[in-house]
Amino acid sequence: MKNNITALAAMLGLALLTSCGGSAESKDTSPDGRLDPCSLRFSWWGGDDRHEATLKAIDLWEKKHPDIKIIPEYGGWDGWTEKVSAQIKGGTAPDVMQINYDWLISLSMDGNGFYDLGRLDSILDTSGFDDDVLCFGRVGGKLNAVTVSVSGRGLFYNSDVYKRLGAEYPETWDDLIALGEVFGKKGAYPLDLDIQSGGTAWYLAVVYVQQRTGREFLSMDGVLGFTRDDMKMALDFYKELEDNHVIRTIRSRTDEDGNAALYQSPEFIDGSIAGVLEWGSSVGKYEMVLPDGVLEAGPMLKGDSGEDGGWMIKPSLLYAISSKTKYPDEAAAFMDFLLNDTECAVILGTTRGIPSSSYAEESLEENGLLTGLAQENDQMLEVLDTSTISPYMELPRMKEFYNNAIEKVSYSTTDTAEAAEELYNSINEYLEKIRR
Amino acid sequence: MKKRTFHNPVGVGKFTGLWLISPFILGFSVFTLYPFLSSFLLGMTDIHGDFTGPSNYIDVLTSRSFRSAAMVTMRYTLILVPLKLIVSLLTAVLLNQRAKGMGLFRTAFYIPSILGSNLAIVIMWQFLFTTDGLVNQCLRLIGISPVSWYGDSGNALFIIILLRLWEFGSAMVIFLNALRDIPAEYYEAAKVDGCGSVRAFFSITLPMLRDVIFLNLVLQTISAMQEFSAPYMITGGGPMGSTETVGMLIYDEMFRYGDTGYANAVSWSLFVLITAAVLLLFKITGKLREENR
Repeated sequence: MKNNITALAAMLGLALLTSCGGSAESKDTSPDGRLDPCSLRFSWWGGDDRHEATLKAIDLWEKKHPDIKIIPEYGGWDGWTEKVSAQIKGGTAPDVMQINYDWLISLSMDGNGFYDLGRLDSILDTSGFDDDVLCFGRVGGKLNAVTVSVSGRGLFYNSDVYKRLGAEYPETWDDLIALGEVFGKKGAYPLDLDIQSGGTAWYLAVVYVQQRTGREFLSMDGVLGFTRDDMKMALDFYKELEDNHVIRTIRSRTDEDGNAALYQSPEFIDGSIAGVLEWGSSVGKYEMVLPDGVLEAGPMLKGDSGEDGGWMIKPSLLYAISSKTKYPDEAAAFMDFLLNDTECAVILGTTRGIPSSSYAEESLEENGLLTGLAQENDQMLEVLDTSTISPYMELPRMKEFYNNAIEKVSYSTTDTAEAAEELYNSINEYLEKIRR
Repeated sequence: MKKRTFHNPVGVGKFTGLWLISPFILGFSVFTLYPFLSSFLLGMTDIHGDFTGPSNYIDVLTSRSFRSAAMVTMRYTLILVPLKLIVSLLTAVLLNQRAKGMGLFRTAFYIPSILGSNLAIVIMWQFLFTTDGLVNQCLRLIGISPVSWYGDSGNALFIIILLRLWEFGSAMVIFLNALRDIPAEYYEAAKVDGCGSVRAFFSITLPMLRDVIFLNLVLQTISAMQEFSAPYMITGGGPMGSTETVGMLIYDEMFRYGDTGYANAVSWSLFVLITAAVLLLFKITGKLREENR
């Protein structure tokens, strides 16, 4: 009997130990410089244009490397961060991942959250990247990720609707405000901003204030540069857009679209919403739902006296390798293919923005593929005095603070001064907490 | 008297029972007990994973977001559960009648409850409740001005309650089974004494179903307090946090903001809330249930 109980206790103990094993650090896998047959998981988010191109690129890879299979995992941006952070925390992250800039802060604060790509430099060629661009992916002295493209948000308009209403694309903030009346008469809007996963409402307000004050919203190391008054100016600007019928109020947007993203909104597709603010690298999803060539890039907005600063850029996407991958060499080879291979570059085109790798960019240029909205947006930003977005700006908790403030202002439950004060304090408290 | 001896060919011993249930104990320990206990300990770590003692638990109690989510959850539960019990009981009584094609009706009423809150439902709800949705179109037809369903705090919670109310099938099935267990003689005797069907419902059906009503009350309360998927899919917690339930708060803290410690502390607070609610239900219905004995 005693034996029975001992055996049962041993079984339970073993079960508990093995279940604990899942959360423990897995054995580090060292690169050996060889490419062995295996299957790699690769995950990315995006619109259909990116999905289709990436799947074709994977076909090309599998033709070139028949013994290294790629298992694709892809979807829309909504909920993607949550999905991948759960995978990373649970030790089931894909081998190669497309990551967002802020994930370097939230998922790899000490540089150990992703594989140290410096250890794979015999396979992963980074010679086609500028040092400034490579720096974006370095955390704690380790190269955690490589930038796919650098882009900024720009304004894109439905040219059919603008022509029909005889309106010009706005060049200054005042032009934009004035358009509200023109469009309002026809029950349409010249632009729309959202507070959902895109969170473009706060972004445009920040650009406006940065341009007017010359102060940066957040520094690269996560220090708030805006004052309380700047916060109020940003919220006042947002409210002015709503009040002047430039954008929909949050209530009318929610009533019309429920929880759907703007590019899936019937109002955007039928032209009642005639403009969006979007990353050059992601504008494809808006372009796809309208007839060919209808969406056009508009000028970056300026002040009355021609001041054109305040606009921002960032690494729009980066590729990283899981710190728990069993196949670092193979993952690095696949990442190298995605970033540098000239044939792959032609297939991917500008679905992830204008490639930062000079090899890929040259290949696109030779094939006459450096065209389209991403390229136009890139060129417009290039001539401006842009600043780099702090990775802290896009942290989900920060977005929640912006959205709460904007919602309160939109629903008029508090005035802009009170909302600005609360926003200022929440951001400061949070940044204090997360900076080690 | 001769002492009886039992034949024991398979060697049933004192601990054989324990051996037989060991697969369950093993599964329970690994998949329930271990996560349950480790969740409590995780609740004592900060965003960097360092041990901080009970500070997260204290933060939960004082935080505005938890208070607001707990209020939303309570409001949701208090409205949904009684409505769902009434609708499912009345439908079960109707479906318990002997009529042609009743099997088809039973299936039809049960189907919504297996749909949950998937993407198709979300799209259907959008067709129904957005500005130009079917509901507002119908309202316009009868001369009522369109209602702001998604954009208004009160109405947004209402459309989620409506979805869950529509999915009353599981509670209804439990009632249907219990209704079949009530002996037909009771109704026949009552009929002979001149009792009408309404009186029979209140004097026979309801008293006989007391235990089952209580069972459904407890089950529905627990599942309502754990609500996550419907607000997550349909409203995303908005507008102004008016549909952000505690379940959604746990998800947001854990997966959106990456604060594992705080998320686990909120989970435990929800556990305590649900336990308290169930104990309260036992207490306030205690006398009623005793009368049934």
